[in-house]
Amino acid sequence: MSAAVELKELCKSFGQDFSLGPLSLTVPRGAIYALIGPNGAGKTTTLNLLMGAGRPQSGAIELLGLPLASGEAAIKRRIGFVSPDLDYRAWRTVGTAIDFVRGFYPDWVHSRTERLQVLLDVHRDQRIAELSFGQRTKLALILALSHECELLILDEPTIGLDPVSKRAIFLELMRFMEDESHTIVISSHQLSDIERIADHVALLNRGKLLAASRIDQLLARYRLVELSTSEAARPRIRGAMVLEQHEDRNRVLLDLSANTPESLREQGVQILASTDLTLEELFLALIRTDETRRPWRPR
Amino acid sequence: MPEEKSTLELSPLSMGGPGPLYRQIVEAIRREVASGRMPAGSSMPSFRALAAQLAVSLITVKRAYEELERDGIILRHQGLGTFVAPGGALRSRTERCNVALEALRSAIRAGREAGLEDRELLEILQRELADSPRPVKSHDGGQR
Repeated sequence: MSAAVELKELCKSFGQDFSLGPLSLTVPRGAIYALIGPNGAGKTTTLNLLMGAGRPQSGAIELLGLPLASGEAAIKRRIGFVSPDLDYRAWRTVGTAIDFVRGFYPDWVHSRTERLQVLLDVHRDQRIAELSFGQRTKLALILALSHECELLILDEPTIGLDPVSKRAIFLELMRFMEDESHTIVISSHQLSDIERIADHVALLNRGKLLAASRIDQLLARYRLVELSTSEAARPRIRGAMVLEQHEDRNRVLLDLSANTPESLREQGVQILASTDLTLEELFLALIRTDETRRPWRPR
Repeated sequence: MPEEKSTLELSPLSMGGPGPLYRQIVEAIRREVASGRMPAGSSMPSFRALAAQLAVSLITVKRAYEELERDGIILRHQGLGTFVAPGGALRSRTERCNVALEALRSAIRAGREAGLEDRELLEILQRELADSPRPVKSHDGGQR
């Protein structure tokens, strides 16, 4: 079966301030694929390009096996999109927005809409302008999940949500994923949630892809290692990136594909401690090493 | 073929729990099987159903199932689903649990004979548990 999303050499720039890409990614069907990165990394730009909002300068986008350029409306009917940028205020009330959006989708499942409204506590007579940020996200999710979409594209779906609503939404997403042809692409800063539910992750920084991998494989590739400072005087250790320097010890991110704690010990390097990283810790470490590689420039 | 609905019910997992999530799943399922709540031949939920139930990624569930299969706790039949395996590993696990239970019972008897209150027995047990941490497997190979 074709990939859910295929990006080839995608490039998009906004003046001199920001350029995305070239970005190539494959999101397999049946996966929860997370886009992570600091603010300004290009996550929202990427997701908006997937939805046909803005044209890339170059590169190709395929969704569910079809080139995006070939027929956006037909493809979009099979996709659900949730973004903080969506604005439903023109429909004034939740009920009107639901009825309007429903008209676009022949496969709308209204019983699902009603179930989600109860679950997420969003009511037809509520005025959209008076909804909180989190409630607007909930409305967008209800609209996205109420038709038979195959691909859900979620831009920061949990901002502004309390833990109870967040959990309800994650359970709903997992329920959506019980169909193995379904796929989710999600951008989020909630890295502990991402580590828990996502299968794949792509890490972006300043418009460039730093890593794209299965999460378990990415986490298994690195370890956090502490070396005594005397070791730092040695020639550079392959695969080691210094994260923190203390008086008596250095904290180092070790890429196990280049060097392992065992091979370091065999080389006579004294290791004080060595531990696995969480996704959040690895995220911080990889961003930090990427930033130190970059020539400094005023922003 | 309609898949037989699994009766497996696991309590929620925590990122703050002991060990990685897939390990927590392995331990929880081993407990269910050892307790007899999931007898040999009972059907296990599909990857996706269990991932949805526990709100964890498919990869996490797959990894747990692979480990359980390797240990002979479950069997996977292509097209039929996944089942609790009969025999060896399980029985030995159950037996080991029964041995532990019997040892605890005799400890309780000995404690009562020594005039200890239940509260004191509990405190002793808690202290002993705290003093003997579970052996943690070395993860130094970079495996999580």
